[in-house]
Amino acid sequence: MRKAMVLFASLFAAVAWGSSGAAEGEKEDVAGYILHHVADAHELEIEIPLSHDHVTIHLPQILIPFKAGACEPRMTDHGEVIPGILAGCLDISITKHTVMMWLAAVLLIGSILIWSNRDKTKLVPRGTGANLFEMLVLFVRDELAIKNIGKEEGPRYVPYLLTAFFFILFMNLLGLFPWMASATGNLAVTCGLAVCTFIVTQIAGIRAAGLGGYLAHLTGGVHPLLWPIMIPVEFLGLFTKPFALTVRLFANMLAGHIVIFFLLGLIFILQHPAVAMVSVPFAFGIYLLELFVAFVQAYVFTMLSALFIGMGVAMGHHAHEEHGHGHKETGPSHDHGKAHA
Amino acid sequence: MAEKEPREPGGSDGSELGPAARQMRAAEPYISAVWKLVGGAVVGVLGGYWLDKWLGTAPWLLVGLSLAGISVGFYGFLREMARLGKRK
Repeated sequence: MRKAMVLFASLFAAVAWGSSGAAEGEKEDVAGYILHHVADAHELEIEIPLSHDHVTIHLPQILIPFKAGACEPRMTDHGEVIPGILAGCLDISITKHTVMMWLAAVLLIGSILIWSNRDKTKLVPRGTGANLFEMLVLFVRDELAIKNIGKEEGPRYVPYLLTAFFFILFMNLLGLFPWMASATGNLAVTCGLAVCTFIVTQIAGIRAAGLGGYLAHLTGGVHPLLWPIMIPVEFLGLFTKPFALTVRLFANMLAGHIVIFFLLGLIFILQHPAVAMVSVPFAFGIYLLELFVAFVQAYVFTMLSALFIGMGVAMGHHAHEEHGHGHKETGPSHDHGKAHA
Repeated sequence: MAEKEPREPGGSDGSELGPAARQMRAAEPYISAVWKLVGGAVVGVLGGYWLDKWLGTAPWLLVGLSLAGISVGFYGFLREMARLGKRK
């Protein structure tokens, strides 16, 4: 293994040495290069290895103005900027990250269709793919949904949790392939995913506590005179959990990519090919860590979604307790039930 | 013959829940109480600041709503704590 690593590093050092002439003028532009690569873009750049050429695919820019001339580009210090939604311009352009999301969705649907189509007469699936998927699906159902939501309500939310888990996993993994990007390293994407969890959580809360109980929860249980202050407080409180989901996934995915790029960028910052001997193995190590992080972040997002949905389901219990019409234990106690389990 | 287990209003008896879910559910009322304390101040100060900017009444709404927000936050927090204390 160590020999393989040394060989790998030497190979990269040799390539870096070979192209050291080109690195001269790029010293100051490493940060710009990294930000350009992790940011969303209106084109797909496919670099051709060992050359300075790249193929650029321009993606369509779709702007919908709500009023005439709202989408006219404006000149600022940072160049031409398209006005935002608040200025009356809806930008639904197909960007690099949109393409990556579509690709992740197509790969996900394709792989699920292939591997779920197994011999149903046999109890145990055959083949690596089918076994891997069954293991992950069972993990999400038994360890995430049922352990965080409960065995009565848990199975109802398994389809959503599975979709979130696999979609995030595929988007995270796509970023580890050459010419691809992680759509989860975009705040808009993670925000969209968190909004889905937020909606499911609120529906779980309304289903469990009833619309009246849910709205009563928003008043914080204080006197109606204090509602003008308490309702905004409770309403803002609803958004703390999806905000945490959004930032956690985004920051983790973006940070990993930036670390890899910067380790490789050290070669060009220090302008010596020998740096590759150190930075390439380090970048390779971080790359392996990223592979692990892709799974961990998909797991964390799904686990927290399940936890929040579970708390929404538990809202029903609190509502019953607060309004004094909770159930009275007339039958055997819970301990009795556990003794049978 | 399996005896039917008693059920809580929201579903099962919760014995299948993992430790994270149990702890989070136990902590949830306290997190919500603390949010009332912090959120009251946040809503009061930011609300007062924006309303002052909008209506041009600086600094009166900022002062008034900050005091009101902090007071309501404290009241909500103490009320929740007293309720949680009684439940034990």
